[in-house]
Amino acid sequence: MHLHHDHIGGHSHDHEHTHTHEHTHDGVAHSHPHAHSHDHDHVHPHDHDHLHDHGAEHHHHHDHDCGGDCCGCAGSCNHTPMEELVALMKYMVGHNAAHAKELADLAAQLEKAGSHTAYEQVMAAVSDFEKGNMRLSVVLSSLDVK
Amino acid sequence: MCLSTVYKNTKSPDTVVMKNVMSIECKDGCVILTDLMERSVAIEGHLVSANLVDGFVIVQETA
Repeated sequence: MHLHHDHIGGHSHDHEHTHTHEHTHDGVAHSHPHAHSHDHDHVHPHDHDHLHDHGAEHHHHHDHDCGGDCCGCAGSCNHTPMEELVALMKYMVGHNAAHAKELADLAAQLEKAGSHTAYEQVMAAVSDFEKGNMRLSVVLSSLDVK
Repeated sequence: MCLSTVYKNTKSPDTVVMKNVMSIECKDGCVILTDLMERSVAIEGHLVSANLVDGFVIVQETA
């Protein structure tokens, strides 16, 4: 499912070329990026079925685990929109928790600096923030079980 | 610590290379982007700027 691109060292090619990444795919939704290995000792992971403006010969190899069959991997390499939303949601919940902690640390510094009222207000905001994040966690849990 | 959107050459809606980028590695003349779903894209070029407050990065593609 996941791409494991293998960047080969040495990158010493001296030719000039451009890549046109925009492409269509015969009506098939197929947008996963993958690695392309060039003759000149490095790889360029990018969407395929693109046009190379230069005439250089390219050997395309796919480093994701669909066996290199582009037609077959459209379903296996792409995550569903829901999987992506859940992943983003998980990230956001964790991210919010980290921000809540940062705000609490900031509040502690305010108190240390003598602003007790500001400390209390920021901590109240942290509490509200955590409540909101808890609500998101509950939504996430309901999405995870489906 | 926030996810970023990476643009190619200029910041506009039609130059978005990848959204929700969680890591960027510059290696062998390429900028390798990895998103939250661990998909990777490499652009032959270099990093121009990273705005970590607004969460966007601009990469200049080698002509």
